[in-house]
Amino acid sequence: MSVEEIAEAMYKMVAESQGQKKLKPMDLTKAMLVVFEGKTDKKTCKAAIKELVNSGRCVYTYFGGSFIEIPHREGAAND
Amino acid sequence: MAVDMSKRRTDYGPPHYEQFLPPIIKDNYGKWKYHEVLKPGVMVHVAEGGDKLFTVRAGSPRLISVDKIRLYCDLADKYCDGYLRFTSRNNVEFLLTDSSKIDALIDDLQKLGHPVGGIGNSISNIVHTQGWVHCHSSATDASGIVKSVMDELCGYFTSMTLPGKLRIALACCLNMCGAVHCSDIAILGIHRRPPKISHDRLRKECEIPSVVASCPTAAIRPTTVDGNPSVEVLEENCMFCANCYTVCPSMPLNDPLNDGVSIWVGGKVSNARHEPMFSKLAVPFIPNNPPRWPEVVDTVKNLVELWAANARKYERMGEWIERIGWPKFFKMAGIEFEKQHIDDFKHAGLTFKRSVHLTY
Amino acid sequence: MAEATYKTPKLDELEKGPWPSFVTEIKMAAKKSPMANDLLGQLEKSYTEKIGFWKHGGIVGVMGYGGGVIGRYSQLPKEFPGVSHFHTMRINQPAGWFYTSAALRKLCDIWEPRGSGLTNMHGSTGDIVFLGTTTDQLEPVFEELAKVDFDIGGSGSDVRTPSCCCGMARCEWACYDTMGACYDFTQTFQDELHRPAFPYKFKFKFSGCPNDCVASIARSDMSIIGTWRDEIQVDHDEVKKYADGGLDIVDDVIVNCPGKCMKWDGNKLDIDNSSCRHCMHCINAMPKALAPGKDRGACILLGAKAPIVEGALLSSVLIPFIKMEPPYQEIKDIVERIWDIWGEEGKARERIGEFIQRVGLGNFLEAIELEPVAEMVAHPRENPYVFYEDYYEEGDEDEEEEEENE
Repeated sequence: MSVEEIAEAMYKMVAESQGQKKLKPMDLTKAMLVVFEGKTDKKTCKAAIKELVNSGRCVYTYFGGSFIEIPHREGAAND
Repeated sequence: MAVDMSKRRTDYGPPHYEQFLPPIIKDNYGKWKYHEVLKPGVMVHVAEGGDKLFTVRAGSPRLISVDKIRLYCDLADKYCDGYLRFTSRNNVEFLLTDSSKIDALIDDLQKLGHPVGGIGNSISNIVHTQGWVHCHSSATDASGIVKSVMDELCGYFTSMTLPGKLRIALACCLNMCGAVHCSDIAILGIHRRPPKISHDRLRKECEIPSVVASCPTAAIRPTTVDGNPSVEVLEENCMFCANCYTVCPSMPLNDPLNDGVSIWVGGKVSNARHEPMFSKLAVPFIPNNPPRWPEVVDTVKNLVELWAANARKYERMGEWIERIGWPKFFKMAGIEFEKQHIDDFKHAGLTFKRSVHLTY
Repeated sequence: MAEATYKTPKLDELEKGPWPSFVTEIKMAAKKSPMANDLLGQLEKSYTEKIGFWKHGGIVGVMGYGGGVIGRYSQLPKEFPGVSHFHTMRINQPAGWFYTSAALRKLCDIWEPRGSGLTNMHGSTGDIVFLGTTTDQLEPVFEELAKVDFDIGGSGSDVRTPSCCCGMARCEWACYDTMGACYDFTQTFQDELHRPAFPYKFKFKFSGCPNDCVASIARSDMSIIGTWRDEIQVDHDEVKKYADGGLDIVDDVIVNCPGKCMKWDGNKLDIDNSSCRHCMHCINAMPKALAPGKDRGACILLGAKAPIVEGALLSSVLIPFIKMEPPYQEIKDIVERIWDIWGEEGKARERIGEFIQRVGLGNFLEAIELEPVAEMVAHPRENPYVFYEDYYEEGDEDEEEEEENE
């Protein structure tokens, strides 16, 4: 499977989880390795995360650990 | 913000250090033979071929303005062909090849308000964290206490009269972004009140399973508040680590009535003589008393001078205390031994006295 | 520009005394920067009310990277609008913290118009810290930094900016090239430094000798500490000079030796190197006379951390001795294996030291394919609760005998 396809599947997972549970990059990778067993690998998953972040569709966040989320306004932000 | 990632330069890392090394260092890289401390804050490194590199070390508050950096640069240009460095304890060092310029440089540094010292048997700069200047979880300020303590101990920075090295560190909460847990004297900000939960905000900001999982003593449980899911804290199990606050900003522990400072002693990182050691609790709590924290300053000064008066040559704080025993240390320091001094976390039993090797 | 609009009687007290004052520094910056000026105002309020007024921001950063920017907002943005946003940027320092004035001036010129004009030289992990700017300035600062070849450092669950002592640049005790190794590892692991993918942070610190000037054994997940395995080099004439000069070789040196491996007959220092613990004390005491041996390398230790979450740890031995030669492939391969198992099995916010405590060092070694050696422990176990994965069942013995006979 291509990096783009994995990125798309990851994005979907992040979007569904947003507001419920923050996902770590490794959570996404592990999930992909299960869902697309034999069709993807860690390296592709890593590239997919980079693609998601470089395109601006996802961002890294930090709340006591690093997560992948869809960009949003956080509670602490001031104007 | 629109950023064209295809043209973006990323992952190039820090500039290569070689371009910042003075010619004498490039010539003698890996070829230094020995060094000598010439006077407080001044040392010479002698290369196998005879080249001599003089270092002048000055104290700094770590939090410095760009204009101060530019003043350092002016001095580096004037005395060192523009070369300078910083140390792991936030001092600034000027690297000279001409020893006749040392005294003029020291004069200029002193005019700038930066004492020269911190080498050999002295107190080096206090490494510290951000405190109220920048941190959201601090239980005390960092820079203010450091300034107040160093004002009092400055004479030990600018001289070499101590039995050995003494390293003081300050962290403004248990996160210890300046790891103080292996220092001769550690000043550690602590909270003493369980988190105040803002249930409305928690619902929006935090994931309940993550908050529950964050507690090292399992003191946080899911619950329902006004019909909404939230958490509760078993207060008797809370040891105020603030790990929950780090994952959930709706549970602040900061509290002016209960926050303050604890003092720890006897840690070291160097392998010289005794193996590296953790610092141990000396004073469980001193309330915050800004702007100059006189009780903290007195306590630290007392500990430094007690050690200086009683330790053998080279003996670090922890080595001295290990030799005389903790009961004698508490007696000599005039610190009351209390319940808080006894460990009750994991493996606490290993810290109990398990022999009759006692002094009377 | 900004007027000093705040009365700061409490902070003013911290401009007195011989030690250089951070308040004076903030005031210097406040002459030009409204941010620094409002920082003074908010800090004075903290000094009055004995509490900080900052909120953690978890989302801000530069595009593409997941670390290096620490989000910070004031809780009092109306009262102190200048610090409404007050984010920190970590800039990866050059190895050994060596600079030229030209390079530092460039950094100052970038930071002054785009932030508070305040810095930490340096932060606890070793980065240059740019203290306080707004969200919209993060990209421009990064863009300008790229032009002068400075990159952003680590934060979050990533490789944190590695740091090292000055090593061979200015120390005769450096048992390997700490600055070379630090730079090399930093470059190799750029992706891991900028794109957090671990359960929590991972720090490397490189110390050239067991004096450990960068506190690697207390402060880094992987501590790489220089040492040697042959004989301490002795210049007997210089030892004699130290003795003649007033150093008490017995009381000052030999009594302090943890290996009890030295003798002094008044003329000659005799060292039993097979018992030397490589602590550095004798060499520290007589730098002109003694030096580390010539067969130099490093001891690699794993797992140090501050108390959060499960308690503080010191690093413990993983590889008792290894030659330190670029490209350090053997060490990097082990690092990758460590990250693999920790990445897969580690819990959120679990440092490698805590992970090893949880799964057991023996199991961990199996996972990263290293053999256990006695150097890894202070002493073998004291409790008899030993785990065995397999046991014989009746009849197994016969099978085994048969196999052996085949």
